[in-house]
Amino acid sequence: MVELEFERRLERLFAEPPAFSDEKAFAVSVERKLNRGWNIRRWIIGAAGLAGGVIGASQLIMSNFVHQVENASEGSTRLLQAGVQQLAPRSDLLAALPAGSSVVWIASGMAVLAIGFVVTRVFEEF
Amino acid sequence: MSGSQNNRLASAHDVELAALAAAGDRSAFGELVRRHGSAVRGLLRRMGAPPAEADDVAQDAFLTAFERIGEFRGQGTFVAWVRKIAARAYLRRLQRERKIAALTAADEAEDVAAPPDAAGRMDLDDALRGLGAAERICVSMCYGAGLSHAEAADALNLPLGTVKSHVKRGLEKLRARLAPADGAPLEGRRGNG
Repeated sequence: MVELEFERRLERLFAEPPAFSDEKAFAVSVERKLNRGWNIRRWIIGAAGLAGGVIGASQLIMSNFVHQVENASEGSTRLLQAGVQQLAPRSDLLAALPAGSSVVWIASGMAVLAIGFVVTRVFEEF
Repeated sequence: MSGSQNNRLASAHDVELAALAAAGDRSAFGELVRRHGSAVRGLLRRMGAPPAEADDVAQDAFLTAFERIGEFRGQGTFVAWVRKIAARAYLRRLQRERKIAALTAADEAEDVAAPPDAAGRMDLDDALRGLGAAERICVSMCYGAGLSHAEAADALNLPLGTVKSHVKRGLEKLRARLAPADGAPLEGRRGNG
C-alpha cells in the first residue's frame, strides 16, 4: 500500500513539468522546423508532379497516341455528327466541333495536368 | 496567425488540436508544442540527457508526433503519447551511439546526489541525479513516460528482470531521498531552467 502510494506520488512528480525559461523559443523552433519540412515537402511534391506529368505525357505522345486520338476524334466526330443529324439535322453545329491535330495537343495538355494532379494527390495522401 | 485564431487554439482541448493537426493545421500543433514542450524536455533531462541533447530529441519527438498524429486517437493524453515517443527516441539514440551498455556498466559507480535543502528535502530532479544511469532511465521510463516494465525492457533491449531490479533499486533510493522530513509533499517545487 505504502509502495503504491509512493509510486502514485512519483508519477505525479514526473507529470509536473519543470519550468524552462526558453519555453516559447523551443515551441517556435519546432514550428519553424515543421514549416520548413512542409515547404520542402511541397516543393518535392510539386517537382514530382511536374516530372510525372511530363513523363506521362511524353509516354502518351510517343506511344502512337497522336494517331489513335486523331482516329478516335475523327471517329467520334463522325458518330456525333450522325447522332446529331438524327436528333437535329443542323450541319452548321457540327462544323464548330474541333477535330484534327489541335485536339491532340489539347488532349496532351490535359493529360499532363491530370497526371500531375494525380501524382501530387498520391504524394500528399501517402 | 490572427488573434482570434490564437484564442481559439488556446482554448481548444488537446484532442481537438490533435484533430486539427491531423487535418494539416500546423498552428494547432504549435499550440500543443507550447503546452507540452516542457513536459517532454523535462522527461528527457530526467532520463539523464544533457540539456542540448534533450532539446534535440524533444524537437525530433514532436516532429515525429506531427507525422504520426493520425495514430493519436485520444485514448490517453497527448502529452503521455509524445513522452513515450520521446523516451523511445532517446533510447534509440543511446543505442545507436552504443551508450546503453556503458551506462548500465557504470551504474554502480554513479551515486552522487545534490545536497538536500535546509529542511533536508530534495526535489525529484535532485533526487534523480543521485541514481545510477540505468536506474534513472528505468524509473523515468516507467513513471515518467508511462511504459510498463516489459515495454521498458523491450525498448532498452535488456532482460525484464534487469529492468525490474533497476526500477526497484531506483525507487528505494528515491523514497529515501524524496521523503520529506515533515511529511509534506514536495509537489510544486520546480527547477531545471
